[in-house]
Amino acid sequence: MSRRERLTSRARSLRSTFLPTDTATGWALVGPGVLLIGAFGLLPVLLSLKLSFQKSDMLSDGTPWVGVDNYRKLVDDPLFAHAIKNTVVFTALFVPGTMLVGLLVAVALNRSLRFITLYRTAAYITMAVSTITQGIIFMWLTDRDYGLVNAALNEIGIGSQPFLASPSQALLVITAMTVWGWTGFTVIVYLAALQGVPAELHEAAAIDGAGPITRFRTITVPLLGPANLFLLIYLTINALQLFDEVYQTTRGGPLQATMVIVYYLWDRAFVQFDAGYAAAMAYSLFAVILVITAVQFRLSRRFTHYS
Amino acid sequence: MTPVPVAPLDAAIDEVDTHPDDEPIAPPPRRLGIPFSPWHLVLIPITFLLLVPLLWMLITSLQTSAETQKFPPQLLPSQPRWHNYVDAWQAAPFGQFFLNSAMVTFVVLASNLVVCSLAGYAFARVKFLGRGALFVVLMATLMVPFQVTMIPVFLIVKWFGDNVWEGLGIDHLGALMLPNLATAFGIFFLRQFFQTVPVELEEAARVDGTSRLGLLFKIVLPLSLPALSTLAALTVLNSWNDFLWPLIVITSTDQMTVPLGMSYFQGAHVVQWPLLMAANVMSLLPMLLVFVVAQRYFVQSVASTGVKG
Amino acid sequence: MIKTSSTGFRRRFTVAVVAALSLTLQGCGGGDDTVADGKPEIVVWNGYTDAQGKNFTALIDEYNQQHPDVHVTQLVSDTDHVLQKILTSVRGNTPPDIAYMYGSWSTNIAKMPKVVDLTEEVTQSGWDWNDFYPALRDAATVGDKVIGVPALVDNLAIVYNKKLFDEAHVAPPTPEWTWDDFRSASAKLTDSGKGQYGFTMPADTSETVAWHYLPMLWEAGGDVLNPDMTKAAFDSEAGVRSLTTLQQMAVTDKSVYLDTTNTTAVKLMNSGKIGMITTGPWDLATFTDIDYGVQIMPTYGGSDAGHQTVAGPDNWVVFDNGDKRKRAAVDFLKWVAAPEQVRRTSLATGDLPIRKSVGDDPAFVRQLDEKVSGTGVFVENLNNVKKSKPATAQYPEVATALGQAIVSVMLGRAEPGAALKDAAAVANTALDQK
Repeated sequence: MSRRERLTSRARSLRSTFLPTDTATGWALVGPGVLLIGAFGLLPVLLSLKLSFQKSDMLSDGTPWVGVDNYRKLVDDPLFAHAIKNTVVFTALFVPGTMLVGLLVAVALNRSLRFITLYRTAAYITMAVSTITQGIIFMWLTDRDYGLVNAALNEIGIGSQPFLASPSQALLVITAMTVWGWTGFTVIVYLAALQGVPAELHEAAAIDGAGPITRFRTITVPLLGPANLFLLIYLTINALQLFDEVYQTTRGGPLQATMVIVYYLWDRAFVQFDAGYAAAMAYSLFAVILVITAVQFRLSRRFTHYS
Repeated sequence: MTPVPVAPLDAAIDEVDTHPDDEPIAPPPRRLGIPFSPWHLVLIPITFLLLVPLLWMLITSLQTSAETQKFPPQLLPSQPRWHNYVDAWQAAPFGQFFLNSAMVTFVVLASNLVVCSLAGYAFARVKFLGRGALFVVLMATLMVPFQVTMIPVFLIVKWFGDNVWEGLGIDHLGALMLPNLATAFGIFFLRQFFQTVPVELEEAARVDGTSRLGLLFKIVLPLSLPALSTLAALTVLNSWNDFLWPLIVITSTDQMTVPLGMSYFQGAHVVQWPLLMAANVMSLLPMLLVFVVAQRYFVQSVASTGVKG
Repeated sequence: MIKTSSTGFRRRFTVAVVAALSLTLQGCGGGDDTVADGKPEIVVWNGYTDAQGKNFTALIDEYNQQHPDVHVTQLVSDTDHVLQKILTSVRGNTPPDIAYMYGSWSTNIAKMPKVVDLTEEVTQSGWDWNDFYPALRDAATVGDKVIGVPALVDNLAIVYNKKLFDEAHVAPPTPEWTWDDFRSASAKLTDSGKGQYGFTMPADTSETVAWHYLPMLWEAGGDVLNPDMTKAAFDSEAGVRSLTTLQQMAVTDKSVYLDTTNTTAVKLMNSGKIGMITTGPWDLATFTDIDYGVQIMPTYGGSDAGHQTVAGPDNWVVFDNGDKRKRAAVDFLKWVAAPEQVRRTSLATGDLPIRKSVGDDPAFVRQLDEKVSGTGVFVENLNNVKKSKPATAQYPEVATALGQAIVSVMLGRAEPGAALKDAAAVANTALDQK
C-alpha cells in the first residue's frame, strides 16, 4: 500500500463508525459510565447551577433566591474582567507551549536507547511532584536576590528581574512553571500516540528521499491528530481552571497580576463567604469552556480530511 | 503509486510497528565519533531539568529543620539525616495510610479501565442515537472546578452511605472511590486512541461474525495497550495524589490516605519540611513502581497482535 | 486467533475488582460510632504539629485517663483547609465536636446555627473568663455571643539580628524608639551590594500584609474602621502618616525586602541577610543560625497612642451534636484552658500563655524565656494589645483592599494618600453590602 493509501486508510479509521445505527448496543456500552458520571459528575454540576441563583454564605441556614443578580454583578465586576484577561492570556501561552515542549521531548524519548526507561520514568515522575513543591522551587529559582535564574542573567549582562514580585512578569513565570509541571503529562500522551506511527511509513518516505524534518511534518504530525485534539481540548479545559499553581505561589498577586478566574471564585467562596456569587462565576466559566471546546472539536473535523 | 500485491487487510497489519520493544535499533553511523547515541546528549539535560523538583525533595528530606530555614537554600546537607524517613513514618500511622491509598487506587484503576473502555469504544465506533449530545454532556463534567461541586458531591455520597451501603458513605474508603470510578477524562482519552485502530481489522472480524464486545476485547484492546497503560498510569497518579476530596470526606485517622497524612507535617505557622519531603518521597515510590511496569506496555509489540489472514 | 486471552482478561479483572471491594468491606469502618459503650466520644479537629501536637496528644491522654466517662479523640489535618472541611461537614450534618479555627473566621463562623453559644457557660464559676487576655475574648465574641474558647494568642514585635547591628555600629532597638529611629536604623543596615536589607514586609495579597501594618496605623492614632464598622477610617491623616513611613523605607531608602511569598523573609533573616523583622513568637525557633534579640515595636513621636501591637488569636469552636457531646466538649475545653494546663502548654510549646494570671507571673516568664529566648518580651507585649481587628464579616475584603494599597505604595506605584482613598472606596462598597 502506498503512503497515500495508508494515510487514507488512517483517516477512514479516525472517522469511521461502521454498521447501521446500533443504538441499543451503544447505550449498553456507555451505560455504566453514564450512570457513574451522571451521579457524581453531572448531578453536582446541576446542583451548583442552582446555587448560582441564590445568595449563600454556606454558614447560615437561609439561602434566598436572588435570580440572576449574581450574574448581573459579575458583568459589572472589574476584578472578574481582569481575572478573565489573565486567564485567557495564560491559556493562550500555556496550551501551545506545553504541547510543543511535550511533543519534542516525546519524540526524543520515542526510541530504543539504553536507559530509555530511566528517561521516560523521569518524565512521568515529574507529574507526581506536588504543586506545593513546584511552587517552592520556582519561588526560589526566580527570587530577585538569590535565585539561580537571576544569577545566570547577571552573568550574561542582563540585570536581576523581580519575576514573581513584579506585576508585569508574575503571570509569565507562573506560565513557565505550569508548562514545566504539565510537560510530563503531555509527554506520556504523545509517547502513547507515537507508538501508533508505523516505522514503515518513515522508511518508505526516507527511501523516497524525504529528510527527517519533512518526514516528521508530513507523516508523524498528521497521525498524531487524535492525540493533538485530546491534548488541545484537555489542556485548554484545565488551563482555564488554573488554581493550584497560583494558590501555592502568588495567591493572585502581586496587585492582582495573577488573579485568575478559579482563584477569584475560591476566594469569594471560602474567604469572603459569598458562595452563590462564586457559583455564578463558575457557570460563566463553564459556558465559555463549553463553547471553546465545541469550536475546537468542529475545527478538528475540518483538519482530518485528507484530499 | 507502486501497486503492492497484498490484500487491504494485510496491508493494514503491516502498519503495526514491527520492532519488538527490547531490540535496539541499529546504531547510527558514527559521524560524531562518540561511542554512544547523540540522543543521550539531548536527553540527559532534559531529564535533569525535569527532575529538579525531585532532587530538591530528596535533598530537603535529608536535612535538619534548621538547615531548611536558610536562604539561599543549602544545596548539600552537611550530614544526610536518613533518620528523617524513620521519623516521618512514625509520626503518623503511615502504614495504614499506604494501605488505604492502595486499596482506593486499585479499585478506581480497575473500574476506570473497564468502564472507560466500554464507553470509549462506543463513542469511537458505534453509531447510536444521542451520541454527540451525550459526549458533550459528559465532557461538561470536566468544566466546572471541584471547589464549586464539592459540597453537592459530598451530599450525594452521604446519601449513598445512608441509603445504599454504609461502606460507601462519608468517612469510609468507599466514599473515596465512588466519585472516581469513571471519568469523562478516561472516556475521552480512550475514544481518541480507539479511533486510531485500523477500522479494517474490525470490519473484517465483524464480517466473520464477532460481536461488538468481541471486537472490543479481541481486536481493539490488544492493539491499544499503550493507551491503556497510559491511562492506567495517569489514573493511578490522580487517585494516589488526590487531596481535597479525601480531606473533606475523611474524619477518622484510620481512614486517611497518604496525602492527608502529609498534614501531620504542615502546621499553621511552621511546616516541618524535612519530614514532609521524606513523606513525599516515600509516597512517590509506589507510583514509580507502577510506571516502570506500565511503560513496558508503552511500546506496541507485534507478538501480542498476530492477526493474520 | 489472537494470543491474548480476552475472556481470561475480563475474568481476571472482575475477580480483582470483587476482591478489592470485599477487602474494603472488611477494612472499612470508622467514625460512625459516636457513643461507644454508652459514653460520649468527642472528636477535636486541629492542625497541630511537632511540639504542639505532642503536647495536645498528651493532654488528651491525660484527660481520658482522669475522666473515664468520656472519650476524646482528635483528627489532625491542616488548619488552612479546615474551613472547607467544616463548611462541608456542617452542610452534610457530620461536624466535629470541637475544631480549631483562626480568629479571623469568627464573625463568619458565628452565623452557623450549629456553633454553640457559650455566653452563658463562660460566666459560670471555674472559667474565670476575664483572666483571658482581652484580645482573645474579643476574637471569641461576636456581637454579644461568645462563640469560642481561646486557644492561642500571639503578637508582633521586632526580632533583630544583633550581629548586623554591631557591624553597622547601630545601637539596637529600645522601648523608647520612635519610627524615625527605626527608619534610620533600617537604612544603615541596608547594603544592596551584599543583598542585605534592614527590614522586611510581607507583600502578598493576603490579609497578612494589613495585619503587619495595623500596629503602625494604631500607633499613629488611626483606625481601620469607624466605631459602627460601617465606613473605612484608615484613609485618615494618621493612616497617611503611617503608610508614608513605609513608603520612605521601601521606596526612598530601599531598605525593605518585599516578601511576596510570605516564607522567604524568615529564611533570609535566619541566613543573616535581614536586620529586623516584625514577627511573632512562632518564628523564634527557626532563628537557629543567628544571635537575635526581641524588642517591642517603636512608637510614633507626637502620638498618644503609645505602644501598640496586634494579636492573632485563635479559638476552639464547639459544634452542637446533641446535649451529651456538647457538655463533654465544653468540659474538655474548660480543662484545657484552665491555668494549670495553660502553663504546661506554654512551657511545652513555647507558645504564649492565654491567661493573664499566667503571663503576669515573673517566675513563669523567666522559665519560658529560658526555653525559647525572647519569648519573655512577647509575653509582656501582650499588655500592649489594646485594639483588635474589626470584628465584621466584611473584614477580609477590607483587609485585602488595604493590603493592596500598602503593597502598591511599597512598590513605588502609588502615593499613600491616593492609594488609601482608593482602598477606602473599595472597602466601603464591601461594607455597604452588610
